[in-house]
Amino acid sequence: MNEQLARDLERDIATDPRTNELGIRVQVRGDHLVVSGEVASEERRATVIEVVREHDTGLEIVDHIMLSAEPGPGGPGHEQIEPPQRS
Amino acid sequence: MPDPIRVAAVGDVHLADDLRGRYAPLLEGISEEADALLVAGDLTQHGTLEEAEAFADEFGAADVPVLVVLGNHDYHSGAERDITRLLEDRGMTVLEGTSTTLDTDAGRLGVAGVKGFCLGFLGRSAADFGEPQMKAFTSHGIETADVLRKALDDLGDEPDVTVALSHFAPVDETLVGEPKEIWPFLGNYRLGEAIDETGVDLALHGHAHAGREKGLTPAGVPVRNVAQPVIQAAFRVYDVVPRRSA
Repeated sequence: MNEQLARDLERDIATDPRTNELGIRVQVRGDHLVVSGEVASEERRATVIEVVREHDTGLEIVDHIMLSAEPGPGGPGHEQIEPPQRS
Repeated sequence: MPDPIRVAAVGDVHLADDLRGRYAPLLEGISEEADALLVAGDLTQHGTLEEAEAFADEFGAADVPVLVVLGNHDYHSGAERDITRLLEDRGMTVLEGTSTTLDTDAGRLGVAGVKGFCLGFLGRSAADFGEPQMKAFTSHGIETADVLRKALDDLGDEPDVTVALSHFAPVDETLVGEPKEIWPFLGNYRLGEAIDETGVDLALHGHAHAGREKGLTPAGVPVRNVAQPVIQAAFRVYDVVPRRSA
C-alpha cells in the first residue's frame, strides 16, 4: 500500500504540468513521506512539495529535495581527448 | 601534436523563466576557451516556445557556434518543430539525424546529432516482438540509431575531429548511479554501435542526471555524459586532438 502510494505520487510529479519532474523519488517511512531527488530551482522544489501536499496523505512530508548546483564561473577546466587507437 | 579542437558541452539545462540569468553571464566570452558549444538536449523543462525563448536568450550569449539536439522534455508540448525553427532563427544549429561541419583554427570539426530514444542495452533491451505497440517502441529506438549512423556516414573522412551528439546515452557506463530498472529508458546500445562503426572521436550525451561523466563504447570511443547535474558546471570543455596526429 505504501509502495503504491509512493509510486502514484512519483507518477503525478512526473506528469503534472506544473512540475514534470522525472527525477523525484518518494518513500514512506513510518508516518513520514520522504521526497528526494534533484530540481533546478527553489521555485521548482516548492511546486513539487505543493503537488505532494495536495494528495492529503495524512503523512508528514519530509523535503529532502536537493537543488542542482548553479553552474559556477570559470568552468570546470579542460579534458584532453586523444584519438582512439583503432585496430 | 597538433592543437586540439576545443568542444564545450552541456545538457539538460531545462530552461524556463525561473532560470533566466543563470547561464548567459557564464557563456559570454566562451570563445576564449572553446571553438563550439554543443548542447545535449532537454533545453527546456516542458517543451514550450516560451521556455525555448529563454534558452535562446541564455545560450545566445555564447560567442561561438551553438549546436544542439532536442531532448524528451523538448517534445513534451508537441512544439518541437516550432522550437527548432525558433532556435535556428536565433542562429543556432539544431541537429536531428543530420550533421554539420565547422572550420576552427585547429581544423575542421564535424558534428552529427540525434535525440535518440529508449531501447536498453545488450541482453536487457526491448525486442521487436509481440504487440504492435512494443514493435513501434523498439523500431523507433532502432531507427534513431540508423539516422545517427547515416548522419555520421555523411560526414565521411572530411572532419579532423568527429563528435556524435545525442540526448539518450549510447552506452550504459555513464548511467551508473541511476536505478538499473530505468536504464532501458535512458539509453540505447544501437547508438553506441553506430558510433563505433563510423570513426567518431568523442560521443556526448545527457538525460542521465544521476549518472556519471565518463565512459567508453565497446570499441573504445570516449563517451561523456554532460548532463548539467553531472558536470555541475555551465559547460565542460573537451580538447579533442585531431585524428591526423594518430
